[in-house]
Formats: sequence, structure tokens, C-alpha cells
Amino acid sequence: MIQTQSYSVEARRKFLEQMLTIRRAEEQVIHFATDHKDLIRGHYHVYIGQEASGIGACAALAPDDYVFTTHRNHGHVIARGGELGPVLAEIIGRTTGYNRGRGGTFHVIAPHLGILQTSGVVGGCMPLAAGAAFSIRKRGTTQVSLVFFGDGVLEEGAFYEAINMASLWQLPVVFVCENNGVARELRKSGQCPTSSLAAKQLTDIPNAFSIPSVIVDGADMLAVASAMADAVSMVRRGAGPVFVETRITRWPGNAGTFPVLIGGDYRLEWALSPGSAPQELQEWLQHSDPVALFIRSLVADRVMTKPDVEAMDAQIHQAVGEAARFALESPAPKAEFALDHIFA
Amino acid sequence: MADETDALYRDMLQRMLLIRCFEERVIELCHRKQLEGLVHVGIGQEGVAVGIAAALASGDYLYGTHRSHGHFLARGTDPGRLMAELAGKDTGLCRGRGGSMHIVDADRRLMTATGIVGGTIPLALGTALAAGENGDVVAVYFGDGASNTGSLHECLNMAALWKLPVVLVCENNGYAEFTPMSAHTVVSHVSVHGQPYGIPAQIVDGNDTLAVLEAGRAAVARARGGGGPTIVECLTYRLRGHYVGDPAAYRKAGEVAEWRDKDPVRRFTALLQQRGTLAANEVEAIEAAARARVEDAVSFMTESPWPAPRSVADYVYA
Amino acid sequence: MTQMRYVDGLRRAIELEMERDQRVIVLGEDVSVGGPFGITAGLLERFGDRRVINTPISEDSIMGLATGAALAGKRPIVEIMFVDFITLAMSQLVNHTAKLRFMSGGQLNVPMVIRVQQGAGGGWGAHHSQSLEAWFHHVPGLKVVAPSNAADALGLLRAAIRDEDPVLFIEHRGLHFRRDEVADPDAIPELGTAKIVRAGKDLTIVTYLKPVWDALAAAAELAARGISAEVIDLRSLSPLDMGTVLRSVERTSRALVVHEAVLQGGLGAEIAARIQEAAFDWLDAPVHRIGAPFAPIAASPVLEQAFVPNAWTIVAGVEQMLGLAPAAGLRAGDARHVT
Repeated sequence: MIQTQSYSVEARRKFLEQMLTIRRAEEQVIHFATDHKDLIRGHYHVYIGQEASGIGACAALAPDDYVFTTHRNHGHVIARGGELGPVLAEIIGRTTGYNRGRGGTFHVIAPHLGILQTSGVVGGCMPLAAGAAFSIRKRGTTQVSLVFFGDGVLEEGAFYEAINMASLWQLPVVFVCENNGVARELRKSGQCPTSSLAAKQLTDIPNAFSIPSVIVDGADMLAVASAMADAVSMVRRGAGPVFVETRITRWPGNAGTFPVLIGGDYRLEWALSPGSAPQELQEWLQHSDPVALFIRSLVADRVMTKPDVEAMDAQIHQAVGEAARFALESPAPKAEFALDHIFA
Repeated sequence: MADETDALYRDMLQRMLLIRCFEERVIELCHRKQLEGLVHVGIGQEGVAVGIAAALASGDYLYGTHRSHGHFLARGTDPGRLMAELAGKDTGLCRGRGGSMHIVDADRRLMTATGIVGGTIPLALGTALAAGENGDVVAVYFGDGASNTGSLHECLNMAALWKLPVVLVCENNGYAEFTPMSAHTVVSHVSVHGQPYGIPAQIVDGNDTLAVLEAGRAAVARARGGGGPTIVECLTYRLRGHYVGDPAAYRKAGEVAEWRDKDPVRRFTALLQQRGTLAANEVEAIEAAARARVEDAVSFMTESPWPAPRSVADYVYA
Repeated sequence: MTQMRYVDGLRRAIELEMERDQRVIVLGEDVSVGGPFGITAGLLERFGDRRVINTPISEDSIMGLATGAALAGKRPIVEIMFVDFITLAMSQLVNHTAKLRFMSGGQLNVPMVIRVQQGAGGGWGAHHSQSLEAWFHHVPGLKVVAPSNAADALGLLRAAIRDEDPVLFIEHRGLHFRRDEVADPDAIPELGTAKIVRAGKDLTIVTYLKPVWDALAAAAELAARGISAEVIDLRSLSPLDMGTVLRSVERTSRALVVHEAVLQGGLGAEIAARIQEAAFDWLDAPVHRIGAPFAPIAASPVLEQAFVPNAWTIVAGVEQMLGLAPAAGLRAGDARHVT
């Protein structure tokens, strides 16, 4: 069982602010895709419903730690301190994006934040994360290398090659597996097999490599933050790699191939009274939406009032709106610069 | 029946001796430059090759590694055609195209060896997927070195997920090329990797031929009965270097001597004498017979023609 | 005359062959629910889970598994979702699938089809947009096929499934929903044959996959300027049907090779070399090539557009070849791809 640390009022407010920022930013990404023609043309993946996981993890990191992530990276980049303007601009391919429009939604990278790669290839970042950790060990610093990935990565051989080396050489890697297809009753404990993996419990796999692991309810903001703080500090102390499985119940809007804003943009009333939301969202809002769960707990603990939350949300809306305008007004790269940045 | 068992054991010893003589002769031929190329011999691992071979039925399939001469001889591959293949002669198993690391004896369902570490494991799974419908079992060899390839884990997952009739034989000889196991992985035994997927394992003394046979039979029966994969981890040792010519300076002093004391050929010979299956004076005869077969193989190889140079691009397409 | 979409041609080919031959099986990620483009939709329900196998995300092992099944008598069709991910399966594909017949001296047979889709357009970024056919053209033991239209998607896939050698079957994502007339839905062309899709006399444009349509559009535009371009759809990238190409060049005396893949080391280089080796005396000008710049594919639409050759690129290329003034309507930067 995870001992939840006690978090100050300030810390908790900060968490909510980050959660709402990611939530509203991802809604904006969906609007980019649905309200504009050809702005986001390919597939894209949003982090709605998973906010607590990325925020909890990044909160435990120091500024010079490394982060690796996947095609579902927007939430991680923002949680790590990515600014909304360059993030949104990158997603729509503008020169003011973090990758000058070359990466796009699958590949938002921000080396100044330690985000060294986001891969479109499932499992692609695992060896990279181990390599960064190897470099840390060689240089003798106290940095850690944290890698986010989904449950599907455990089907790829590259994962095994990376964790074997991480364990063998006691590399400072924090493996964060965001298992996002979990039924709500199983988020805190219990076996959680997937249909393509014969292992009944994902953590059995790192355990076979003598890598300590922990399972945490990915919808519980403070539980994730605590678990991640413990994991990161263990790794930073030189205890070798650690594996954290955050269990998340999928947001109903992510059930299909493309995300759908069921019922439109998120309403704060839904968080406080799930019954007021569209039918398909109610159960998720009641039991699994990290934002709703956190808002209800903050209000119940009298850390924030409903008007406080509304005011915070309004400010975030404004910030996201400004960032969206910035992105839309930013220029697209010019064709004559197409061959830049390939070689040194 | 005691007679049947005696006959089986004698046959097994004959195969072990054939492998030992063959491999020693191969080393000699390499030193004399009568054989060229990169060759890996399995001296010291005969117990595994023969124990597993005897556990399989005639219709079962086998996949090897880069060190598979013994795997094939144990299943009855003609030593002459194997020697000719190593030399690159047209009469070789693969008409000189495969060489030591890529031997194939399809008539005996010895599907292929490979130069890619762990490379035959997915092939074996695919064959099991196909052949399992007929009640056939597929055995595949891999070493402790292969246990770190991503592909092994992908295959452990799929073999368990689909309950494939496959026997995964790990020849754990403690080295991945020049690197001892303690320096290439953290697990104590390779079969630990099967645990998260619920794959049962049997860890055996790979130099105890009968122990290998017993474990092999249990695994084959499980596979044939629809019980899915088993890992049979055979702890053994290669008494020579990784490849012919490897001075193996990376080994600890005394290690080779320690394992020579556990030589599987000597142990099985002694066991059969103890059992009364073999009389003392028969041992020499069996050994001589093995050497004679190997000499015949060498003659066959030497007298065989080379492939015609203009056939260089044959067998690329159907 | 039937009208059919490219994806329907693919699906129909698989259905027909699975019906005809019990040994044909389908493997890949998400194939049981149709895959990302719906091509395998309905197959599981029709043929059952012994023949339609949904795999975990394990490309290297999936490739090896399909190969091993082929060795034991099945005829697998393995789907790799994006050609970019075939990189994970290279060892099995190149070292085993392509070479087992040879290494075994003819004892082993690997009758399997590896289906991939490739192509840029859509802004999917550098890991989902590459064109890698040149790598596989370079591997002895593999055949490589690339249909540009629904009829060939149908006929050539059936031919590939029936072929005794491993075939890499390359589909283009941008062609999925095009509708074509299919004159003879039962036709099964021979692998290794190209097709002249537009007759002409002033130059030969050799191409494949989506650029075939760009070339046809360019040819129509050029015709208005009095230039008659012959367009050849290669259909098969290994082996190459150089006979058709050379006979055409004999008649036209000029050749231009167009592909979406990067120009450097692309198939255009091989084809140009072969044309000039065999038809030097017939050529009135060097063989030209059009391909993408030597860069990964950016996600940004403007940059992606700058990479991918299109009909205007081809028009500009031809005009350059013939020393003509550029046509009106050409965009700046369209001529950048031409050698």
C-alpha cells in the first residue's frame, strides 16, 4: 500500500492547475483537428484522463533529469514545464513549435526540459532511456532518466533488452508504465492481464529482472505523486532501476480511433455532480477521472472552493486560448528550409 | 523393456561418441586449413544434444543455433554430408551454400541452424503454429547468450499466449560468446524469464544425459498433449572456445578442468558400464566405430566436388 | 466492368485466396479487427482464429513466426502496420525469410507475403511516412511488388500469395480509397511485369505507386503543351521488368524515373543505370530522376509538401529535361527534386 505523503495547500493547488492545463490544452488539440480543415491531418493521441500520472511523475523530477516519452506525449511535455505556445505550435507544425514544425504531434521534443525523444515506434525510447542513464552513471551525476510508455511496450523485445541492461548495470532509470486500459476495480491492486500479453501481472516482468516495482492507482493524484517521489528518490540514491505501473481507466472519449469530446468541453459541474454529465461519462467521472476525483477531494478538504476552481479554470482557459492563437498565427515553415537540421 | 532401454542407451552413447569424434576431427581439419570459415563446435555439450534428440518423435521438428553440428548428428544426420557442407562441397547438406552455421536437413525436419543469436526461436514458434495441428512438436535450442535478445521474450509471450507445442531448450553453458552469464544478465537462471508468462521450467544437469532425456520427454509430452511450452534449461559447458581458434583466455583458471571432470561422454559411458549395458571391452569397439565413421565422412568430403562457380546464384528463387 | 477501391481489392484478394487454399493464414497486429485501414475486416469471422491470428506488438518475432509457419507448409500473409516498423523485423526478414531457400541449397521453401503500407501525406511525421522499397530491392531472395491501382492491388496480391518465394507487397496509404475500374476482377497478372498506362512518343516516365497518378496528371498537362509522355507503371520492383522499359526508351529516346522515396540511393538510380547501360545509343539525353530530398519527413504540412514529388514536380522536371520554359501555374520549389 502506498503511504500518501501529505501535500501542502500550495502543492495541491499547483497539481490541479497542471491537471486543468493539460485537460484544456488537449481539448484545444481536439478542436484544432475538428474545427479546422487540414490543421492536424494524421492521427493524434490525447492525454485526457491520464493527467495525474504524468504530473505526479514529473513533479518528482529535478530540472536536469531526462524524460523520454511516446506518441502520447503532450501531457508529459506540459507536465514537465513545456510552454503551451510552443507545444501547440509544434502540434500544428509551425516554426515556433519546439521542433520548428518538424516533429508534429507524435514527436514533441524539448531538450532544454530534458525531454530527449518521443518515439512513434512502440518501445522505441526504452533503449534510449537506458542509454541516457548509462551516461549518467559514467559521468557520476545524480540525475535520473525517466521513461514513460504504455502497456503495449511489454510486447516489444526492445523493452526486455533495455531492462536487462538497466538491471545488470544498475542504471538510474525510472520506468513508468501507464497501463491505460484498466477496469476501475483493478486500479489499486489485483492482476491485470491484457489480451496480447500472457503475463497476468505486468510487474512480474520487471520483478523477474530483480527490478523493484510498484502499482499505483493512476487516477489518484496524490498517490501517484507519492509513489513517484519515492521511486525517483530511490533511483537517485543509486539503488538501480525502479518500475512504476500507473493504472488508468480509459476516458470514454478515447474509446474509438480518434478522440471525441463527448458532451463538448469539460464542465466543472460534471466533476462535482457526475449525474449532470452525459450518460457515457458518468461512471468515469464518478470513479476514474483524475481531475474530477481531485477537485472533489480539494473541495471536501476545504483546500479550494468551487469559485476558486472556477477562477483557476478561467485563467487556464485564457492561457490556452492565447497559446492557440499564437500557434495559429505562427508561420508555417518555408519550403526552402526543408533540408535544414539534418546534419550538423 | 530392459532390452529396449539398453538398445536405446547404447544408441545414445554411439551418437554422443560420433559427435565427440566428429567435432574433434573438425578442429583438427580447421587447424590444418582443410576446413575454412567460422566454425563453432559443441564438445562438452553432447549430453544435451543426444538427450533431447532421443526425447523427440521422428516427425517432430528441431531448430538449432550457430553451434548445431551435434544437434543434427544426434538426430541422425549423415556425417559425410555434414562434413561436406562444412567444407562447402556440392555434396553437402545444403550444396555448400549454408556452411557450419546454417545447416539444414529438411528430410529429418532439422529445419535450420542460424548465425543470428536467438534467431531460430520465432521460426520454431511459427512451425509449431503450423505443425501443431498434426500433433507434431517443435524443439528449439538457444543459449544463455540468447536470453537477452528481445525476440526471446516476445516469443515466450506468444508461446504462452497461444499454448504452442514448443520445447525451448536452453543450453546454458555460462557464456555469451566471451562474456560470463553474471556479466550479461541479472537472473540466476534463464528459465526465470518464463515465470511471468506461466511457462513451466525444468532445470537439469545438462551433462547427465538421462536427466536431459527425462526432462525432454516430459516437455515433449506436455507440448503434444496441448499443455503448451516448457523451458528445459540444461546446465552445461563448452570445453573448447566459442569458435574454433578462440584461445578463450576469458575463462577462469581451473574452470575447464572442473568441467572436464563432468564430461558427459565419460559419465554416460561409465553409467552404461555400471548398468551392465556395456561390457568393458565393448567401449573401445564403440569408440573405434565412431572414429571410423568420422574418417569415412572426411574421405567423402575430401573426394567430393566443389559446386560449379556458375551456380553461384542458384537456389535464390524457386 | 467493376468499380472497386484499392482497399477492397486488397481485401478481396486475401478472401479469395484464403477460400481457395486452406494453407493461407493471416497474421499481424490488430488484424482480427481489420487493422488500422480495415483491410482485414471480416476475415476473422469468416475464417476463424486458427487462420486469422492477432499478434502482440513484436515485429521481429512476428516476422520469424510467419517464416517458421511457411517452412512447415503454411502460406502466411503477415502484415506490418507501417513500413517504418519493418525496421524492427529486419533480421528475420533479411537473414532468414529471404535466405533460407538459398542457405539450405533448395531444401526449404518460404512462400509468404509480407504486406506493408508506406507513403507520406497526412502529416504523420518521420516514423510513419517513409518509403523504403530500395532497401528490399537490394535483398536477393525477396520479391517486391507495388500496385498503383485497385485492379493490381487485387490481381498482384493474389499472384504474390500464390508465389513460392517471399514477396514484400508494398501498398501506398494515399491510394487506399481511390476507385478504379477493374476490367477483369479474376485476372492474376504475372509478377515481374510492368504496364504501359499511357502511350506516348516524346519521353518515357517510369514510376510506381502513387506517383503513377501524378505522372498521368502531368502527362495530361504536358499534352496540352504538345508533349507526348509515355507512362510506365512498374508494378514489380524486384524483379524489374526492364524489357518493357527499354523497348519504350527505344521509341521515345528520353527517360525520367519518378518515385516518392528519397532520391539518393533510390530505385531511380538502379533503373537509370540499367537504361543507360543497355540503351545508351538510343538516348538523346541523360536519364533524369525525381525523388524526395535527402531528409526525414517533417510533420509540418508545408515541409511535407516540399518533400513529396507531385504532378507539378513532374511537369517541371520534364520541362527542364526538354529545355522548355516553365509552364504557368508552377509553384516555386516544385523543381527542386529534379536531378
